[in-house]
Amino acid sequence: MAEKRDIRRGPGIRTVEINAARQVHARTVRARIPIDIGAIDSQEPATSTAISAPRFVQPALPQSSRQPSAAHSHVRHTCNNPRNPPCAHCGTMIVPSPVATLPLEDHPSLTINNWTISTKKKPILNSQELEDWENNKLKGLTLPEMIFGNSFVRIQEKTRNWSIEFNALDALREVKLKDSGIRVSYSKKWMDSKQQKQRQQQRLSIALGSSQPLSDIDDSALQIARHYDWTYTTKYKGTETSGSKKYKFKKDDSQTLPIDKLARPDHILFYDDMILFEDELADNGISIFNIKIRVMNERLLLLSRFFLRVDDVLIRVVDTRIVVEFDENKVIREYKEMEGDYKTLLTKHKMSHSHDPKAALRDSNWVAANIPLITRECEILNLNDPN
Amino acid sequence: MNCNNSGKTYMVTLEGTRQMNLDKIIILLKQGKHIREDCVYSLCIQAQELLMNESNVTHVDTPVTICGDIHGQLHDLLTLFEKSGGVEKSRYIFLGDFVDRGFYSLESFLLLLCYKLRYPDRITLIRGNHETRQITKVYGFYDEIMRKYGNSNVWRYCCEVFDYLSLGAIINERVFCIHGGLSPDITTIDEIRSIDRKQEVPHEGAMCDLLWSDPDEVDTWSLSPRGAGFLFGKGEVDQFLQTNNIELIARAHQLVMEGYKEMFDGGLVTVWSAPNYCYRCGNVAAVLTIDGQLERSYTIFDAVQSQNGMGHTIIPTKKPQMDYFL
Repeated sequence: MAEKRDIRRGPGIRTVEINAARQVHARTVRARIPIDIGAIDSQEPATSTAISAPRFVQPALPQSSRQPSAAHSHVRHTCNNPRNPPCAHCGTMIVPSPVATLPLEDHPSLTINNWTISTKKKPILNSQELEDWENNKLKGLTLPEMIFGNSFVRIQEKTRNWSIEFNALDALREVKLKDSGIRVSYSKKWMDSKQQKQRQQQRLSIALGSSQPLSDIDDSALQIARHYDWTYTTKYKGTETSGSKKYKFKKDDSQTLPIDKLARPDHILFYDDMILFEDELADNGISIFNIKIRVMNERLLLLSRFFLRVDDVLIRVVDTRIVVEFDENKVIREYKEMEGDYKTLLTKHKMSHSHDPKAALRDSNWVAANIPLITRECEILNLNDPN
Repeated sequence: MNCNNSGKTYMVTLEGTRQMNLDKIIILLKQGKHIREDCVYSLCIQAQELLMNESNVTHVDTPVTICGDIHGQLHDLLTLFEKSGGVEKSRYIFLGDFVDRGFYSLESFLLLLCYKLRYPDRITLIRGNHETRQITKVYGFYDEIMRKYGNSNVWRYCCEVFDYLSLGAIINERVFCIHGGLSPDITTIDEIRSIDRKQEVPHEGAMCDLLWSDPDEVDTWSLSPRGAGFLFGKGEVDQFLQTNNIELIARAHQLVMEGYKEMFDGGLVTVWSAPNYCYRCGNVAAVLTIDGQLERSYTIFDAVQSQNGMGHTIIPTKKPQMDYFL
């Protein structure tokens, strides 16, 4: 809403502008002197109040972050891409902003010890690339409307040559090439009316003694031409590469993520959020595959989420979380499938007094916290001691 | 027109005054400024009267510029007019989907309505599958109105206008324009003329198909795997072109990275006019101009920058907002 007000404003002195200029200047000055994180935190509240601060998002840090994380003040990470907003060395965190169509490369990256985290965001695939994917790479699948096929998130361990990456192609390879069995809410009504029409016309053409059908709808029109899972449900957990066979995840469902440590508001050194593919399901809901990553000094958390909502039918969430403990060279991967009936979830939310209950069903966080868990798996990889 | 607070009556004053008022509203809309509820009401009523007289398939002469989905991207709509000559000089057909998804559905739709009222014979508006009550309630337009006005009146007025929009257009009897595609129930363009269009788009039947169906590499009419909706192939397109003695079907409805995509040996084209769709796809947009000789030329344009030179936000961006997700 702040932006809207900004546009409506007539000529005159713009206080926001002055404030913005002050901030830019302050940042430039600050960037010359490497300062520790504790000091940055204490400067933050003043700048974060300006709503339309230009150039890049500078999120307000939670109050409590000032005390504990400041203790760990020695800097051990390297910001690998100087064109991106400067990293904590220089006064702020990396929040890559999306690049639209300019031929700029947006390939931010960060290194902590032997770990390198990098992301790349590119526009959706063009027709040529789509054709290639449709005819070769993903033969048999009608592709989702939006594929960010050149984007990825990658976590690499350099000394052991191990890495895990999330990309759209591998995610879509897991989409089944058979009937999902799921139909949109009005499918039955639609089919019934078409079949009725078909019968009517058949009777009519018999009555008229005509051998030609009167309409284009013959039996084939009510058949599905190509079978594939149109909801694009994927159980993708990331693409691993390893120089040695011994670096493999080991299944251990008793493992849990260190939620207490992750919940701590440690300073975030690198943050990104990207969509790998999305489909509007012909306005019958949404199917979206999204990756979020945040890197702190001691660990990182990656969340890959597939979110599906078929309006008036069902809701499905498939979450994969990856935690890397940098000091222990330990990787934990947790995989969860959740699914619930649309109407049951809607009633559940109605009880929590909201004027727009359907809004909650568009919020994947609310949904994930409220739908039944179907499966949970956990895997662990200890790179220091793989056996 | 009367935009005073004298209840919800509307009065036709002298034509000159009406145009002056329209011009004022157009200026406000171009700046993305707030339009009063009673003023929107008055515009919608006038638009309905005008659209009511149009047939289901409007006749349009060349030269004309065909535009695809807009989806509330007001600033890109302004670029579209700028790059293609502007409504003062050129004729336009909009293939629907004016609202939803973007942040300025209302302003985009009202701007088109104002142009329609101001230059009735220079702009043709066709209904898209988003111009319905059901879809706008889920995909943003309804929420936008609630946010901007605190109540849903303006949304209701606009939906009433939706019901009067044409279903298609025909250019020089040779180019057929429609939002989605063909329907197995429709063999000739004349059959579209017999549809009672003044209603909410039904879930089935010819009217629904015209707004929803998609071309695909299929041998014959087939069912979408979603369990509703048709796919049609080259055979159906060739048949339709031949039966109706036309050379091109121009439609929108599907996102294309390059702004347009010709299929089936040039018998069908998809035109997409929302650059950087949803503020994140990075696609370009296109409009198609058909000249007197029925030659096609495409104008490609890019999305406006989200900030102006002064660092002021023009479009609210969808940059990642950092959070301590778990």
